[in-house]
Amino acid sequence: MADTAATNPGHDDHADHKPGFFARWFMSTNHKDIGTLYLIFAIMAGVIGGVISGVMRMELAAPGIQYLGWWVDMLGGEASLDANLHMWNVFITAHGLIMVFFMVMPAMIGGFGNWFVPLMIGAPDMAFPRMNNISFWLTVAGFLSLMFSMFVPGGPSGLGAGVGWTVYAPLSTGYSPGPAVDFAIFSLHLAGAGSILGATNFITTIFNMRAPGMTLHKMPLFVWSVLVTAFLLLLALPVLAAAITMLLTDRNFETTFFNPAGGGDPVLYQHLFWFFGHPEVYIMILPGFGMISQIVATFSRKPVFGYLGMAYAMVAIGVVGFVVWAHHMYTVGMDVNTKMYFTAATMVIAVPTGVKIFSWIATMWGGSLEFKSPLVWSLGFIFLFTVGGVTGVVLANGGVDDNLHDTYYVVAHFHYVLSMGAVFSLFAGFYYWFPKMSGRMHSEFLAHLHFWVFFIGVNIIFFPQHFLGIQGMPRRIPDYNPAFEYWNHISSIGYMVMAISIVIFFVNLIYSFTVGKKAADNPWGEGATTLEWTLSSPPPYHQFETLPVIEDHHDYHDHRPASA
Amino acid sequence: MNFGDWPKAALRIVTTLWAAALLALAPQVALAQDEAADAPVAAAETTETEAAEAPAYTPLGPEHIKGVPEAGGIDFQPQYTDDGQFAYKMHTYLLVPVITVISLFVLALLLWVVVRYRRKANPEPSKTTHNTFIEVVWTLVPVLILVGIAIPSITLLARQFETAPEDAVTIKATGYQWYWGYSYPDYGEFEVISNMLSDEDADANGEPRNLAVDNRMVVPANTPIRLQTTSADVIHAFAVPSLWFKIDAVPGRLNERLLTINEPGIYYGQCSELCGIKHGFMPIAVEALPREQFEAWIVSKGGTIGGADAAAEDAQSAADAAAAGDAAGAVEAETAEAAAE
Amino acid sequence: MTGIALEQKNLKTGLFAFAGALAMLGMGYAAVPLYDLFCRVTGFGGTTQQATEADADLAERMALSAGGKSISIRFDASIARDVPWTFTPERSTETVQIGQRDLAFYIARNDSKVPITGTATFNVEPEQAGIYFNKIQCFCFTEQTLQPGEEVRMPVLFYVDPAIMQDENTKDIEQITLSYTFHKSENSAEKPAS
Repeated sequence: MADTAATNPGHDDHADHKPGFFARWFMSTNHKDIGTLYLIFAIMAGVIGGVISGVMRMELAAPGIQYLGWWVDMLGGEASLDANLHMWNVFITAHGLIMVFFMVMPAMIGGFGNWFVPLMIGAPDMAFPRMNNISFWLTVAGFLSLMFSMFVPGGPSGLGAGVGWTVYAPLSTGYSPGPAVDFAIFSLHLAGAGSILGATNFITTIFNMRAPGMTLHKMPLFVWSVLVTAFLLLLALPVLAAAITMLLTDRNFETTFFNPAGGGDPVLYQHLFWFFGHPEVYIMILPGFGMISQIVATFSRKPVFGYLGMAYAMVAIGVVGFVVWAHHMYTVGMDVNTKMYFTAATMVIAVPTGVKIFSWIATMWGGSLEFKSPLVWSLGFIFLFTVGGVTGVVLANGGVDDNLHDTYYVVAHFHYVLSMGAVFSLFAGFYYWFPKMSGRMHSEFLAHLHFWVFFIGVNIIFFPQHFLGIQGMPRRIPDYNPAFEYWNHISSIGYMVMAISIVIFFVNLIYSFTVGKKAADNPWGEGATTLEWTLSSPPPYHQFETLPVIEDHHDYHDHRPASA
Repeated sequence: MNFGDWPKAALRIVTTLWAAALLALAPQVALAQDEAADAPVAAAETTETEAAEAPAYTPLGPEHIKGVPEAGGIDFQPQYTDDGQFAYKMHTYLLVPVITVISLFVLALLLWVVVRYRRKANPEPSKTTHNTFIEVVWTLVPVLILVGIAIPSITLLARQFETAPEDAVTIKATGYQWYWGYSYPDYGEFEVISNMLSDEDADANGEPRNLAVDNRMVVPANTPIRLQTTSADVIHAFAVPSLWFKIDAVPGRLNERLLTINEPGIYYGQCSELCGIKHGFMPIAVEALPREQFEAWIVSKGGTIGGADAAAEDAQSAADAAAAGDAAGAVEAETAEAAAE
Repeated sequence: MTGIALEQKNLKTGLFAFAGALAMLGMGYAAVPLYDLFCRVTGFGGTTQQATEADADLAERMALSAGGKSISIRFDASIARDVPWTFTPERSTETVQIGQRDLAFYIARNDSKVPITGTATFNVEPEQAGIYFNKIQCFCFTEQTLQPGEEVRMPVLFYVDPAIMQDENTKDIEQITLSYTFHKSENSAEKPAS
C-alpha cells in the first residue's frame, strides 16, 4: 500500500467545513457525528429502560401489587387486576428489549465503534458513510416501534407486548392477540437490519481502510473486539430475523412454523432464538472487553499483556459462543447426551474468558497505575465481570440448573455480566473518550463519585438476587411469597442508590459542557498510544486526509506514526 | 422495612453470612441435626396412619410443610430427594468454594496491583508484554478446574436422567393458563385441578401466601414417580425447588422425569416459564404421603387402586369429582352424560 | 490506492459480508425442515420412526433370535385447550414383546355441536427411545374429522426395535410412554358441516 495521501472522494472540501444543523445531524454521513447520535440515543433509551426497571423494583420492594395500576392508568389503559399484571409483563419485556437492543448495542457498537474504529485504524471515515446513517435511523425507528407497541392492544388484558424479551411461542403467537406483539417484533426487525448493515460496514472498514502499515496484528484491541462483534452480528442476527419473521407469519398469515396444530414445534423457536441469543450476549460484552484493554494499558503506561492471546481469546469466545445455545433451555426436555454436551461446551468458554481477565491483571502488573476514572471503572469491571462469570460456571452445569433455571439467580448472573460488565465498560469508555469526543474535560471527582455510588448501588441490587434465586424465587413475577421480601426490599433500596449515581453522571455532563476545562489532544499522558490521541480534541470534522503511516519498527504496542 | 432499618439489616446480613460460614465449616453436623429434627415428625405420621385404619384422607396440615422458602434465606431450600442432596452437596461443597476462591483470588490480585503498582510506588513501568509460561498456566489451570467440576456434573446429570421403573406411580401434570391439572392415569380418569389460594385462605390454613393451592398434587413418598408434564396452551414449567426438580410443560409434547421424594411432607413450587398475566400465580404444592394414605386419597377422589380403567368407573369417578365440587370433574361428568344420551 | 479503487474494494467486501448475512437468513429458514429431518432421523426429542411392514418383519426375525424380551408401553392422550373432544387410550399400559407388532387403540369423541378436524402431535418418553419406536400405521399420519357426538376408535400399529436392548442409553428402560396431543387443525374452522 502506497503511503501517499489519499483523499476521500466524497469529501474533497476543506477539512472543517461543516454542513448546516439539519443536514449535519439528520442526514449525517460523518462517523463521529453518527457515533455521537448513537451515544445520545443510547443514553435516552437507557434512561427509559432504567426508569422501567425502577418501576419494577418499586413494585417488588414489598409483596402485593402496589404501583402497577397507577402505570396502567398513566399509559392509557384501565386498571384492573388483569391489566395490572399484564402491565408487569409489558415492563419486563420492554426493559429487556430496550436495554439489549437500544442501549448496550447502540452505545457499544454504534457509539464507540463508530467514533473510534476509523480513528484507531487511521481511516478518514467508515467504508459506507451513507449506510452508516441508515443504520442509525433504522435503530431509532425500531425503538419508536417498540415504544408504540406499549400503547396498542397486546392481548385481552391490556396494552403492550407482554411476552418477555425472548418472545417465546406459543405465548407470543396464539395467546397474545392485538398488534402490540407485531410492533414489538417489527422493532426487532428494524434494529436487527440496522445492526446487520452496521456490521457489514465495520467489517469492510476494518479490512480495507486501515492506514498503511497497520496490519491486522497491529490493530488496537478495541478494533479487534469490534471486528469479532461484527462477525457475530452478521451471523447471528439473520437467524433471529428469520425466527421472528416466522413468528409474524404464524401470528398473521396462519403459517404453523411453531404451532403444533400444523406440525410445527414451539421448541424450534427456542433453538433459533438462542442460536442468536447466545452470540448476542457476546455481542454486548466483546466491545467492552476491547475498551477495557485500551484503558488498562493506557493508565498502566504499559503495553497490553499477551496481545495475540487477547485477540484470539475474543475470536475463540465468538466461535464457541455459537455452539452452546441450548444451555438457555436446559429444562425444555432434552435427552441426557444433549444436556451433557451443552454443559461441557459451555464450560469451555470460561477458559478464553479467564485468559482475558488474567491478561488485564498482567498488563497492570509492573505498570505505573494512575487512578483516573476510566481505570477505576475498568477495575470495577474486571472484578464484577469475574463474579458474574463464575456464577455462569455454576449455571453451566445442566444438573444444577434444574433448580436455578428461570430463577432470580439467573437474573443476578446476567445482570452481573451485563448491567455491571457491559455497563461498567461503557462508563469506563465514556470517561476515557469523553474529552476526545467533546473537547472538554469532565470532573474527575464526579466521575469517581459516580463510580463508587454506582458500584455500591448495583451490588446492593443484584447480589441479594443470588439468594432469592437459590431460595427458589422465579423470574418475571410481580408478586411473591413474603419469605422473599427481605432480600427484595434490600435490592430495591440498591436501586435508589444506583439512581443517585445516574444523577451524578448527568451533573458531570452538565459540568463538563458548561465549565469543564478544554481537553488537550492527549489528556491521559504517554500511556495513550492509539491514533485517536494524535488528533485534536475534538478531532477535526474530517481527519487523516493525509493517511498516517505505521512504520515497520512500530509493533502493535505503539500505534502512532513516527512523527507523533 | 424502612430506610431506618438499614443498619439493622446490614448487621443481619453480616450475621447470616457468618452463620453460613460456620455452616460451611461444620456441614456434617448441621445435616445430622436436620435429620434428627425431621425423624419424630415422620414417625408421628406413620403412627397416625396406622391408627386411622379406615381409608379416610385428611390433607396434611401446615406443620408438615417442608419445601418452602425461608424468610431472608441465603441457601437452597432443604432437599428431599437423593438427587437434590447430591446436587446440593455439589453446589455447596464444590461450586461455591471454587467460585468464591476464584473471585477472591482475582480481587486479591487487583488489590495487590492497585497497591504495589500505583504511580507513586512504581513510577517506572516495566515493558513486559509476554511470558509464555504464565500464559500456559492460566490457560491450563482453569481447564483442570473445569474438568474437576465437569466430572460430578456429568454424574449428576446421569442420575437425574435415570429412567423410571415399570411399576413407578405415573402422574401427569398439565399446565393451563393459569393453573395446574394433575391426572393419575393408573388410578382412573379424574384430573385434579389446582388453583392458587387467596391470601386470606392461605392465612386461614396456616399456609404460605402465593404458594398454597386448593388441591395439592398428592403423591406417595418413598416411591418412584414417573412425573410427566405437558401443556394445553402455552409453555409452563413445573418446578419444585426443594425437590431439585424443574421440567417444562410444552404444548404438543410430553416430558418425563423420575422423581422419588424421600419423606412425607408438603413441598411448594411455582410455574417457572413466563406464561401470561398470571404466571406468578399458578403455584405448585406437592403433598407426599405414605403409600396407604396416598391410596386413601385416590379413593377419596373416586379413583381405583389396581389399574382398572373401565369406562363405567370413569364416568363414576367424574361424577364423584363433580359432587366434590371439582371443576374439571364437572366438565367430565357433563361430557360423560352427553355421551350416555 | 486511489479513491475509486478503494470504493470498489469496499463494495466487494461489503457485498461478501452482506451475502454472509443473507446466507444465515436462509439457514434460519432452512432450520425448519432441517430440524424436522434431524428429529426424524435421530429420534431427537423422542420423535418416533416410521416403518414399513417389511421393516417390521425383519425386526421380528431379529427379535426372535435375540430371545423374546418384553417391554411395557404406556399410552398417553392429551388435548389442546380449544379442542372439545374426549380423547383417551383404550388401555393405559400394555406389555409387548420387543420386535413384535402390536396394535393399540385410542378413543376420541367429539363432544361439541360442530364437526371438528384435529391433528395429533406425538413423542415418546424417555426421549432416547424415540429412535427405536417404529410406527407402521398411525392415526396421527392424517387429519381426523369427527362429527358432533361421533366416537371413533383409532389404531396405532407399532413395534419396538430390538436394537433398543443393545444401546447403553436405552437398555435399562422398563416402560416407554407414547404420547399424543390432539390440536385443532388450522383449516378446521373454515370447514362447513359436511
